Amino acid sequence: MGAPFDIGYIFSFLPKLLETLGVTLLIVAGSLLTGLVAGFLVALPRMYKIPVLRTLSGIYLSFFRGTPILIQLFLFYYGLPEMLKLVGLDLTRAPVMFFVILTYGLHTGAYAAEMIRASVEAVDRGQVEAAYAAGMTPYQAFSRIVLPQALGIAVPVFSNLVIALLKDTSLAFTLGVMEMTGKAQTLGTLTQHFIETYIALALIYLAISFTLERLLLAAEHRLTRHEIRERSGGATWFNLKRRSTYRSLLHNLPDVDTGKGGRI
Amino acid sequence: MIELSQISKSFGRHQVLQNISLHVNTGEVVVILGPSGSGKTTLLRCINYLEKPGSGKIAVGDFQVDCSRARRGDILQLRRKTAMVFQQYNLFRHKTALENVMEALLVVKKLPVVEARRRSTELLEKVGLGNKLDAYPSRLSGGQQQRVGIARALALEPEVILFDEPTSALDPELVGEVLEVIRAIAKEGITMIVVTHEMGFARDVANRVVFMDGGVIVEEGTPDEVFQRPREERTKQFLRRITPEANYVI
Amino acid sequence: MQLDPSFIWTAFVQLLGAIPTTLSITVVSVGAGFLIGTVTALLRLYRIPVLSQIASAYVTFIRGTPMLTHLLLIYFGLPVLIDALAVQLGWSFRSVSIPMIGFAYISFSITAGAYMSEVVRAGIQAVDRGQLEAAQSVGMTSFQSLRRIVFPQALAAALPNLANSVIGMLHGSTLAFAVSVVDINAQAQIVASTNWKFFEAYLAAALIFWGLTVLIERIAALIERRVGAYNRGGVA
Repeated sequence: MGAPFDIGYIFSFLPKLLETLGVTLLIVAGSLLTGLVAGFLVALPRMYKIPVLRTLSGIYLSFFRGTPILIQLFLFYYGLPEMLKLVGLDLTRAPVMFFVILTYGLHTGAYAAEMIRASVEAVDRGQVEAAYAAGMTPYQAFSRIVLPQALGIAVPVFSNLVIALLKDTSLAFTLGVMEMTGKAQTLGTLTQHFIETYIALALIYLAISFTLERLLLAAEHRLTRHEIRERSGGATWFNLKRRSTYRSLLHNLPDVDTGKGGRI
Repeated sequence: MIELSQISKSFGRHQVLQNISLHVNTGEVVVILGPSGSGKTTLLRCINYLEKPGSGKIAVGDFQVDCSRARRGDILQLRRKTAMVFQQYNLFRHKTALENVMEALLVVKKLPVVEARRRSTELLEKVGLGNKLDAYPSRLSGGQQQRVGIARALALEPEVILFDEPTSALDPELVGEVLEVIRAIAKEGITMIVVTHEMGFARDVANRVVFMDGGVIVEEGTPDEVFQRPREERTKQFLRRITPEANYVI
Repeated sequence: MQLDPSFIWTAFVQLLGAIPTTLSITVVSVGAGFLIGTVTALLRLYRIPVLSQIASAYVTFIRGTPMLTHLLLIYFGLPVLIDALAVQLGWSFRSVSIPMIGFAYISFSITAGAYMSEVVRAGIQAVDRGQLEAAQSVGMTSFQSLRRIVFPQALAAALPNLANSVIGMLHGSTLAFAVSVVDINAQAQIVASTNWKFFEAYLAAALIFWGLTVLIERIAALIERRVGAYNRGGVA
């Protein structure tokens, strides 16, 4: 199967794959933005327990977390134009990228919504009371007291979310988007050096994940600098999740990379 | 001056406060005693609307609120005339000791930063934490955190400071330092309503002691009257249960 | 292309046949992944020299790269490796005799193993240290105290994450199309393109996955209530 293994190809493939890094990152950035907006809109009715909207949010969450992203991609790509045709909107000539970012965005939104809700709820109720007792308005209490603390709590989950999204984008090629994985397949077919292409591809993903995780870890440290951090000795690999007292204190946050990360 | 009239409050079908009226003069220190579940903390939290009273009237200084038709603006006003010291301190976790005291001065009183910092530093020095200005709450002991909490309350220059069991969460050896601070500011003539289990403190510092049980005020009077010559049977029972232990500091 | 609601049902029926394939991939990868994950987690928790570093590198690599690349690397790399070894060692076994679904089993188990290792580790760390000390104080060996005291509690603590992992692998199994395994997703593709009804086919597939996911969540909640029985009450 294919040509004999030649490690030199890995290095020559790296720059070729990196040409399409922009496309991958565009999908990540676009979907993340869409996802955070969607997540916020979906989280609100659940936090404020608004009837009807809350049920709709629940269905949204259940659907996007209950079906594979691959199926969602096809569903939106083929289905959305037909659905919108019924209300007189013509999407048949919209670029594929539109569907890709929209689908990844809505998918990410479901996880972002849970992240937002859990982080806000994890802030101690006494913090709001102290803010109110000092005469702050609800808006002041939220923006100055709750939000900064919730951000610190959310970062580890956000980190998992972004990296999961990055990995998910490897499926965009199924709709014909020429991002890194798509490019790798083309290179492999062209040269028959499949193993080398995919090693190069994996290395690039690994490097991006690593960088993202480092950056977000730094952000977390900055946002939670007010908390005492117990150094878990020996654990220096980047994936060895730090057990900050902050999170164990603010119990019950899914800081283990499981489902979402495991979902492709 | 604080004037509570006919305050009632229910949680579901359970009535926690029944038509409570209480008058507190400017400069007076009132200690509220009572067994747990007597409604004393709820009463305190009604005064700054952390609990919404079912009915009644609250007057703080010349500002009056009718609880049956209080608006957002009224509640905000009420809270700006009062301050609270919490059982669990509730210091803003992401702010240093200094920032905790400054926060409301900047956001609520809209003071310039320099002025807010000057006043906050003074207050923290007053509670003996001049050397901890830049420490985050997670780095402070419970006693230190509570002293920051007191400085934070003082900064607002409220008409009254509400103390909700300020020493209950503290390790025994830290209770003294906090009571000392409260005692010192009481001497300055700041109006205070204190819910506490510290009998010694109540005896020494209070101008008046209020005994609550089952959502009503059972009796009130000077510490001498309530502790030495209680009139009501419920008060006597409560005191008998509490005093033999004599585990209060001071 | 007109929306044809009745075809959703037709597609649904045609997709049912592919459910066993999807489930078998899920079950195998979760089962093997749990074993790999437990071993990996223990290696790292006990900080066994060399092995724990290898385990960390494995988890790092898998979590930092897409599941699809794992599958492709195994699909293209494993045969080369096996055939080279076979020639060296004189085996008669050749990689061509590995069925396609075998690559999915192997690759997804490796993927699941890394994520499971995190789940298991978090579960074990959630158990109070005092439990282990108490077990040893009554004279149990390390192994006994792990098996009889720590693991049961860790499992209970890990259940929600475990359920998430199972769902993750169920959804991840859709990638098997890349090695020509006909799971629900690949079957949907076939039904869609032979009838030229893409939307309907994928809608049916989505409904099946949605149903399976909800089912897993329900079962997990049920088990959680059973297992967590000793944990009931209290404010912790």
